[in-house]
Amino acid sequence: MCAFVSINGVGLNDLLERASQLSDKLHSLSTSLTNDLDSHFPPVGRVMMPRPSMCHTSSLQIPNDKDQALKVPEDELLSLARSLLLAWSDPLALLSSEASSLAHPERNTIDSKTKELQDNINSLGAGLEHVVHKMGSSSDNLSSLPFYSNSLGQDKTSRLVNFHFLLSCFRRDSHKIDSFLKVLRCRAAKKRPEMC
Amino acid sequence: MRNSWAVLSLTFIANLISQAAGVSPPGKPRLTSCRSPEKETFTCWWEPGDDGGLPTTYALYYRLEHSETVNECPDYRTAGENSCFFNKNDTSLWVNYNITVVATNALGKNISDPVEVDVVYIVQPKSPENVTAVVVHEDQGPFVKVLWEKPRTADTRSGWITLLYQLRVKQEKDKEWVEYDAGRQKYYNVFSLHPGKYMVQVRCKPDHGFWSEWTKTTYIKMPDYLPKERSLWIM
Repeated sequence: MCAFVSINGVGLNDLLERASQLSDKLHSLSTSLTNDLDSHFPPVGRVMMPRPSMCHTSSLQIPNDKDQALKVPEDELLSLARSLLLAWSDPLALLSSEASSLAHPERNTIDSKTKELQDNINSLGAGLEHVVHKMGSSSDNLSSLPFYSNSLGQDKTSRLVNFHFLLSCFRRDSHKIDSFLKVLRCRAAKKRPEMC
Repeated sequence: MRNSWAVLSLTFIANLISQAAGVSPPGKPRLTSCRSPEKETFTCWWEPGDDGGLPTTYALYYRLEHSETVNECPDYRTAGENSCFFNKNDTSLWVNYNITVVATNALGKNISDPVEVDVVYIVQPKSPENVTAVVVHEDQGPFVKVLWEKPRTADTRSGWITLLYQLRVKQEKDKEWVEYDAGRQKYYNVFSLHPGKYMVQVRCKPDHGFWSEWTKTTYIKMPDYLPKERSLWIM
């Protein structure tokens, strides 16, 4: 695992390189988890799945194409990534606590991958704090995206469905985080354009 | 009562006539795939299905996940037959497009099963470009340096898309290719090749998405190499 240790003396380039490795990992893990869940998912579950616009982060205004994204200043792009990350702290803790009791034959794999997700968002969150510091961002305008639920539901089907729903929201958000961090990585690596 | 009886009889007769003429409403079209080469535009293709023996037209409709508005395909021409091209302005990321194709002829309509796509999950770049291979002579012996460029359409410079490269190498007589991962670099040094003529191909994939096609083969001849007898110098 790529952890943020002995940060002092590490340049912004390298910090963002490590951050994007972690965000890349986060998205790949969430994709792999989605596939695990899909391997055994009741057809009724697909009908019961809430629409993606119900995700608790869907109110966050984000650039959703290249032209918009490239216009956003660095500190704002970083704030968007951090806001999303922060918004997933509670829901991922909930997923992590529920995974081991999920009514799913792959629950052990799902459980360990969910724990890995949680570790990774914590490392990435800590890493981005250092990036903020290094970039010398003045304002700290993180958006608050509260998550009000503390349970996935009563019966086993709705727990499975809500688990899957939350994960699909996270999968999309982790792709946004990864995309924004990789744009930042290339902006910081102007002196080494061969890497972009 | 008499009216509906008449309608029924007419429908029945019409069916008889169309069956005799070998014509029918169109078969069900099928959306086969949607792909984005650069995370900026995308294209969907469909298989038309049976035309029922009559002139049949096809229309693609899409709806975005947070909207009730149904839109028709903005561009049937750019990507060729049985396709719909979504340019930059019509392409948003991190939102599901619900897509269907409707086939229509004089006798009726048929609608494809709907497909849901989020553009970020369907990225498949074009192949890398300008692949060259050269033999580099060094003290330790010659090796092959393979160089290439990113596909023109992919904007890797801004970081909007991240591409990873892979190359494969074999002699013509060999069955199996040997693959090498080059990461984000646009060159790769292949060491310890035996003398002979080699075939080289390169492909790329985005950080999250599908591999491109392999490039056309580039050939390179690895020369016979006699290691220098350093011991001679010592003598």
